[in-house]
Amino acid sequence: MVQNQLQFGIEAAQKDLWDEAIFRWKKVIAHHPQSAAAHNNLAVAYEKKGWWEEAKKEYEIALKLNPDNSYIESNYEKFKKNQELSKKEKTKNEKN
Amino acid sequence: MKKIKFILLAAFFFLLSCATHYRWKIKLEIPGESALDLKPFQQIVITNFLIKKETRDIDLSKEIMDYFNFEIGQKYEGEISLKDISLKDEQVFEQDNFWKHLQDDAKKTLFFTGSAHYSEEVRKAILEKTRRRQYDEPFTSEKKLAERKFYTLQLDLYLIEAESGNPVYERSFKETQGYDNPNQTAYFAFFDLIQKVKEKFFRHLLGGERTEERYLIIE
Repeated sequence: MVQNQLQFGIEAAQKDLWDEAIFRWKKVIAHHPQSAAAHNNLAVAYEKKGWWEEAKKEYEIALKLNPDNSYIESNYEKFKKNQELSKKEKTKNEKN
Repeated sequence: MKKIKFILLAAFFFLLSCATHYRWKIKLEIPGESALDLKPFQQIVITNFLIKKETRDIDLSKEIMDYFNFEIGQKYEGEISLKDISLKDEQVFEQDNFWKHLQDDAKKTLFFTGSAHYSEEVRKAILEKTRRRQYDEPFTSEKKLAERKFYTLQLDLYLIEAESGNPVYERSFKETQGYDNPNQTAYFAFFDLIQKVKEKFFRHLLGGERTEERYLIIE
């Protein structure tokens, strides 16, 4: 069931149906809160939505559950980098 | 020794197979940091605009309202409505009581309002054009009077929180564009200019999007 829902969510995301993907991954987490993959995927979906706080929270849970997963780590590093870049842009915009 | 190597290798592959993750690398458009978080607001009310100087051939306030009604609707998931109000002067954007009293219902509301100035200017210049020499024709140059029409749109945009009556976002945009075509109308030029304003406004307010790569995984 978990694998199916995770897979279904990924297929939805690939079709740009992010709300559907979020629904699937949340369902996985409801039944298996220890699924690092579901937390990671949900974090990516939240990033896509621009929900930064939620994305950060999900990445942190995913890494806590599976600290050695290089894909989660890579996603989280890119997320943090993106956040720093956005902050710099925001400061620049405010100065202008 | 060989046996140990074999066992180690087998153990390595066993661990590797246990740790295998199916992963999909995807490209996605991630929004940048926005100047204002619109999520807490349930509705945006677009009001008429304070027009500093009325423009011939175009109902500036109505066109701005209609344009942003459609464009904001493309980006914002909440409710959008239009409202005609009385805007006397620029001071009104700073008067919190005025905006607080405009709120009709309990919904968390944001007013999208501002002032606008649209102008047209014709600039003339003498242009000297050199014609190509043909055969023994003497060197010739032509002087021509060239006219270009310039249109300028200045929009001072405000987003005012209904609850407090205070602006939570304010920014001025000024765009100018010149046209060779003497028949260019103010009406069509307006849409070229407001599109430029819209792009800058959305990029600033909502944050520009950037393409990033992420991994989706299955354990």
